Amino acid sequence: MKIRIIALIVMSMAIQSLMAQKYVTKTGRIRFYSDTPMEKIEGVNQQVNSAFDLATGQMVFKVLMKSFGFEKALMQEHFNENYAESDKFPNAIFKGTVAGLQSIDFLKDGKHNVEVGGDLTIHGVTQKVKTTATLESRGGKIIGHAVFNVNPKDYGINIPTAVVKQIAETIEVTVDATYDKMN
Amino acid sequence: MHCKTDLARDPFPIYQTTYKMKKNPLRVIVAIVIIALASGIYVWKYLYNKPHPDYLTIPADVSVDANTLFNAFVADQALAESTYNGKVVEITGVPSGIEQSDSLQFVVFVFRQGDFGDEGIRCALHPRAVKHDFHLTPDKPVTLKGYLTGFNGSDVIFEKCSFVE
Repeated sequence: MKIRIIALIVMSMAIQSLMAQKYVTKTGRIRFYSDTPMEKIEGVNQQVNSAFDLATGQMVFKVLMKSFGFEKALMQEHFNENYAESDKFPNAIFKGTVAGLQSIDFLKDGKHNVEVGGDLTIHGVTQKVKTTATLESRGGKIIGHAVFNVNPKDYGINIPTAVVKQIAETIEVTVDATYDKMN
Repeated sequence: MHCKTDLARDPFPIYQTTYKMKKNPLRVIVAIVIIALASGIYVWKYLYNKPHPDYLTIPADVSVDANTLFNAFVADQALAESTYNGKVVEITGVPSGIEQSDSLQFVVFVFRQGDFGDEGIRCALHPRAVKHDFHLTPDKPVTLKGYLTGFNGSDVIFEKCSFVE
């Protein structure tokens, strides 16, 4: 009986410690993709900071705009100078929450669909965003994946008429983050 | 006197030129096509498809001690951003470790603890600068250069880094 009680206490302490833990990554990957008949444009950033608190469901992403790499140097130049205005607005930030974490047992390996919502700030403009995402618990890590769309106009990014056919009205954003437990 | 002689030889030089052009419009069309083609090739090759800077060979804009660089961003982010962001910066310091993530390798300098754990400088190595058999010698400083993209609140971020021998 005593052993059972001790095991129960140890187990609940382990769960509590896991739930209280913050998970972080500094190598998150964000890709945005614009697809038009005239041109396909892809920007990838592989040094994205993100923190995820299992206890509260709070999630933060910090993204340096100049860390987006492009296939063509001219695309990168136009992105930083004309659209993102990276010198003026060097960071994009997402602050939000993951809903429905209470029903997920992150001690067991498995993949779960969740709802993520919050404030996304790009180009100095903040908008509410909401999307579905997957959180996978694997070997003590949590792997997050989400795909959602953003409209540059919503963030005060104006596309000049001369290149309007080369840049999609809606940009697809793919987020991948492998979180490690913060020590 | 000289002018007089020219006029005597060719009293209507402009009309004559126009006449010559009308005589062979194909030449004009070919010239226009060649100029358009050459301009197109120039724009395609040197503007639209211009290569990325070669960060392995490009000289650094500025050299600074790694700790000094991090402290500059912590003390006055706006000033440090205007000084270093978007530049090729050479740093010297004692790295805390090397991390591997997918195909990328990072040299990491840790200077403090914060909301995201270790905070300092993170340099993503250029694919041609990755050393799979590289081991850090404790307390031995290294010099790296790369494209500084900014400070995300916890780390100063470099892309396309390489070791400076």
